[in-house]
Amino acid sequence: MEYLAHYGPSLCVKFHGDLVYAANGPFLHCYNYHTGELKRRCRIFHRNKIHGICIGKDGGLLLYGGNSVLIADLQDVNERTCLMEREKSVNGWIISGEFSYSGDQVYLLTSYNKVIICDKFGRFMMNKSLREEKSILYSGSITVYSQDKVYINAGTVMGGILLWDLYAEKMVHNLKGHEGSIFFVTESADGRYVASCSDDRSIRLWDLRTGELLSVGWGHTARIWNLKFFDSGNRIVSVSEDCTCRVWEICQRGNNIDLIQQNIYEVHLTKNVWGVDVDSTGRKVVTTGNDGRIKITNLGDQLGTEEEQKCYTVEEIFDRTNVPLEKGEIIKGFEWFDFGLVAITSTGKIFLLSSTKDSWIYLTKNDKFSSYSITHGVPDENVIVFANNRGDLLLLKFSDDGERIVAKTEYHCSNLSKTTNCLIRKDSSSALLVLLESPNPRDHLVCLKFSLSTLTHLDTYHFTKPANFVSTCIDVHQNFLLIGSRFSTLAVYDLTATASMPYVIRNLNPGDTTTSIKHVEDQGSSSLFSVTNRDGYYNIIKVNLTQDASHRIIHSNKIVRGFLEGADFDDRGDFITFGFKSSLFYVYNETACYEVFSHICGGAHRQWKLSQDSKSYTLVYIKASDIYIKRFKKAATRETLFAGIHGREIRDITVQKHRKFNDGFLFCTASEDTTMKLMHIEPKSGRLTNYWTQRKHVSGLQRCQFINETLMISCSAREELFLWEIDAQAECSRPYMTLRQTLPTSSGNPDLRIMDFDVKFDSKGENFIMATVYSDSAIKLWLYNHKENSFSLILSGHYKTCCLLNVLLEVLRDQLYLITSPTDGHLVYYNISNQIPFKIDVDDNSLTFGDLKLCESELPEFDCKLQVHQSGIKTIDSVMKTNGDLVIFTGGDDNALGITVASVNKSTAKICARVADFQEKAAASTITSCNLICNATKLLTTSVDQTLRLWSVTEEKLVLIDSSYTTIADTGSSDCVSIDESTNLALVGGVGLSVVQLS
Amino acid sequence: MGKSSKDKRDLYYRKAKEQGYRARSAFKLLQLNDEFHFLDDPSLKRVVDLCAAPGSWSQVLSRKLFQDERATADRKIVAVDLQTMSPIDHVTTLQADITHPRTLARILELFGDQKADFVCSDGAPDVTGLHDLDEYVQQQLIMSALQLAACILKPGGTFVAKIFRGRDIDMLYSQMGYLFDRVTCAKPRSSRGTSLEAFIVCQQYNPPSGWQPRLDLDQSVQEFFQGCFRGSDSPDVGPWHETPRDIAPFMACGSLDSFDSDATY
Ligand SMILES: C[S@@+](CC[C@H](N)C(=O)[O-])C[C@H]1O[C@@H](n2cnc3c(N)ncnc32)[C@H](O)[C@@H]1O
Repeated sequence: MEYLAHYGPSLCVKFHGDLVYAANGPFLHCYNYHTGELKRRCRIFHRNKIHGICIGKDGGLLLYGGNSVLIADLQDVNERTCLMEREKSVNGWIISGEFSYSGDQVYLLTSYNKVIICDKFGRFMMNKSLREEKSILYSGSITVYSQDKVYINAGTVMGGILLWDLYAEKMVHNLKGHEGSIFFVTESADGRYVASCSDDRSIRLWDLRTGELLSVGWGHTARIWNLKFFDSGNRIVSVSEDCTCRVWEICQRGNNIDLIQQNIYEVHLTKNVWGVDVDSTGRKVVTTGNDGRIKITNLGDQLGTEEEQKCYTVEEIFDRTNVPLEKGEIIKGFEWFDFGLVAITSTGKIFLLSSTKDSWIYLTKNDKFSSYSITHGVPDENVIVFANNRGDLLLLKFSDDGERIVAKTEYHCSNLSKTTNCLIRKDSSSALLVLLESPNPRDHLVCLKFSLSTLTHLDTYHFTKPANFVSTCIDVHQNFLLIGSRFSTLAVYDLTATASMPYVIRNLNPGDTTTSIKHVEDQGSSSLFSVTNRDGYYNIIKVNLTQDASHRIIHSNKIVRGFLEGADFDDRGDFITFGFKSSLFYVYNETACYEVFSHICGGAHRQWKLSQDSKSYTLVYIKASDIYIKRFKKAATRETLFAGIHGREIRDITVQKHRKFNDGFLFCTASEDTTMKLMHIEPKSGRLTNYWTQRKHVSGLQRCQFINETLMISCSAREELFLWEIDAQAECSRPYMTLRQTLPTSSGNPDLRIMDFDVKFDSKGENFIMATVYSDSAIKLWLYNHKENSFSLILSGHYKTCCLLNVLLEVLRDQLYLITSPTDGHLVYYNISNQIPFKIDVDDNSLTFGDLKLCESELPEFDCKLQVHQSGIKTIDSVMKTNGDLVIFTGGDDNALGITVASVNKSTAKICARVADFQEKAAASTITSCNLICNATKLLTTSVDQTLRLWSVTEEKLVLIDSSYTTIADTGSSDCVSIDESTNLALVGGVGLSVVQLS
Repeated sequence: MGKSSKDKRDLYYRKAKEQGYRARSAFKLLQLNDEFHFLDDPSLKRVVDLCAAPGSWSQVLSRKLFQDERATADRKIVAVDLQTMSPIDHVTTLQADITHPRTLARILELFGDQKADFVCSDGAPDVTGLHDLDEYVQQQLIMSALQLAACILKPGGTFVAKIFRGRDIDMLYSQMGYLFDRVTCAKPRSSRGTSLEAFIVCQQYNPPSGWQPRLDLDQSVQEFFQGCFRGSDSPDVGPWHETPRDIAPFMACGSLDSFDSDATY
């Protein structure tokens, strides 16, 4: 077994020049944070995770975790991929480590408040401790002031902080005040302050000289794990279980020193940020968390310096331009350009703001646009369009610097008596399309075409408006115009055949207003569009516009929370969404699951516009009739060095083995955090790409499984079972996934879990039957009809009252059996052949639709029941022997691994089963998953003792042939895929994900 | 989903209410006893219940030891927890931290020079979510309980402690093997199958002959066990080495038709 890659909780991180060193289990990763490139990866420890990184003045490197320590040089990490043979064991758990002042010694603070001092080669020199204070510590740190002044900060469980002098072995302060365990404590480098955090969610700032409590910082909504002083000891950054990172300022007001929360950044997923560091300029923070993400947050960009946020009152604009302000005159519309802003007032006055000069210019006044106007622009063409409600349009084109108007057109559209909406879009031939809509449902939609260089009118189209249609957004692709509407409706018009009726797509999702349509990519003769809905839903639809238009939703999902105003793929292929949540405007990276930025603007009910170029986002909005311009620089560096996986346990993994995608494999993970991720693995390097995070489940997942080339099933509590369709075309830049069907539920009990399912397809490979087993001992059988896309219940019953953990559907001697494993350690066999609407072929055991009528029947008595394990069977895999016997492999909570052979007795036609092999001590803890590989000649098991074991299977006997420790805790799931005759790839999930190559 | 709401749906929770137990944990001890019968031994007289709050194990112990009111003269139950506990008949309660050597000294005082027959600990620290740290702290809690057991158990006595079967559990099994003749990993059916919780049942206390358990207030637990088992006397810093590991036999406790804690009712 060879570890290819490991993703999971990262406990510590450090900046060093242009590099970021981050721990990842027992590996040390080194990234260039400007390019995001992973430069080096070095295995440090055999079993332990790296909990701390120190870099000495002369390039010395100290790594520790658990009872392991490694003292090396940065150079070693550059040259070697494994330093494991230099790992040292310490008698005790290392809480903290540090280099001495001269750098030739190392201090290690261990969990019973003892400091071990050793030399650079890890040779023991001496011990130091504080008399009678050897209680267990949760945290601690070491501050080195000089060769002989070293302070130890020890964070105890009950007794507060023990601050002691290392060489004097004397207590300096016992700082008490926190409630509960101290989770971190540190001193500022200048020796002014001590900062600590604890179970009680507060940060406390103490005077190091007097031991006096100076200030208490409240803000975090969960436990705080780590703190760091920066900015010469004037600021602190904290990270917490609440997934945020916060910046605090130490403010001196007279004699008072206060800890003021300056900023909050949502940096990680679901739970726990562990590591934090600040770069030497104090402008960048790097954090690591349970999700394995390495996140860079730019403090400089969000601290709101003068040039980045501007606000102008109407009075100020008029003052500056010497134009008299009329009574009640307000800003009605605006558009942001490279050169600045163009805005129109309620009396039709047009002003221009030059952003470089910060000067306002009064351009012109047009009475036609007083009282009612709609404003839109094409920022990259420097064109602005004003429309009123009587069909008048004013189009202006500016020079690049905004100094001159290079083209101007006034146009009157006489076809509509009244217009209530105007939408614009640039088409592929660099023409501008302007869509005008009247409130009268019988009126046509009018689309005007202008040249973008001269603004001359080129063409006019008239389109029939569908019923119940109120346009909200448009897109143009090739010669098709797509118009989004309220009620989640979309209409597609052919610009070359204006007389034809539109292709209308209704009820795209449960939401109401369609907020954006964006062409994504083409797939053969079809085009893909992303469509967003204000209520938070987004879809990718595949539209075939040739001849008989048709469409299919190939991707559907919902954002975490808030209103969704638009979305687009960025240059890297990440899906970026934006909108409002409560009083915030946000931009979110949906692919990597992090917030790009957010800004408190007061909520969704104001006039606003977001524009972006390669360097920045600009949000312009009106609040209390003032105009606000907020600019966010796009990070020049990567925002995540690794996007991370799930914040909590991966409960199941399924690899799409039927076919490859992009020279690798697609796979799905189902997590306790209620989400599923669709990812890709590159088999040579083990590199992962995350495509989508599905949020359809509302409870922690149990299982997920690909059932054929395109379909996948997932299940969880609340009786949730979803059938997914994965659209993965080689010519597309990414796969898409959409919900195809939901299984009907029987009760509202939130605790009723679907524990497992199995399917059997008919001989055509279209319809299938599916068995589901439940936590209340229920067993159900369903028929999925492909054509009708429906599930119908055909069989139901209960085993007893205990929870059922696994289910298999198997054909043995032309009989169909449902085999389930309850928590009582048995395997229970039901013959359900008479209850299914299929005939079972005697020769190849395949199912074909018979003439049995579809009706719901009772689960028959079980055929056979055999105890294999002492308690719950956690995992099951099976193989059919050539003689028609079924061999079932089971792993249990009782640490055991069993082989059961089931066959049908010819004379009684009943199942008879026997346990062929039983390995009592197959693991030190619960066996959670098993996979048969290499034509069922080998079995891979994972167990909670964090060990992967490879067994050979010969003549129904198991022999252990290899085992390997994994750093993934709560090891709970695995799936294997063969990459060639001799090599298998195993994905192992738990709190993290490991990629192991089995040769 | 909050833990408490799940507890309320649990059948064991209702059953505990019916039978007057303060917590559903009582059934874990009862089911362990169904298999090992350590509480059915008529010579069982003196017991220590560590990490005992709110006290359902103490209730079970009290009912077992004092069911026959006549022969109770030299019987004793001491229960210790960080939390306060409301009184239980025949149980002496102590509010203290069991990882503190001073607490152990106080318990020893309560027993005078008499030995105990049975020491149990159902303790669990607050988890942080950092798996290896949590597991380490849990093992240190067990080590503190074991330290007391080593000082107070009569030869042949029994020690029962809650464990979480994580990555280093086999190391703990191996260490227990130095002090007891029989070590079993037992899982009561009332303990959820989805949790890593189980109980280590150590029978026949029989410490290594060359090792003298001696409580010293200035010693950490770790120092207490120096010389007791392999690995306990390793140097402060030394080359990395594998620690001895051992897999204890597994025993599911409670009859198969007892309630299933994973089931939905
Ligand atoms: C699961 S409860 C015990 C339940 C108990 N056996 C019953 O049946 O009622 C775990 C207990 O361990 C206690 N505990 C944890 N750490 C402790 C320590 N260091 N010293 C004493 N008690 C501790 C907690 O206060 C908590 O009450």
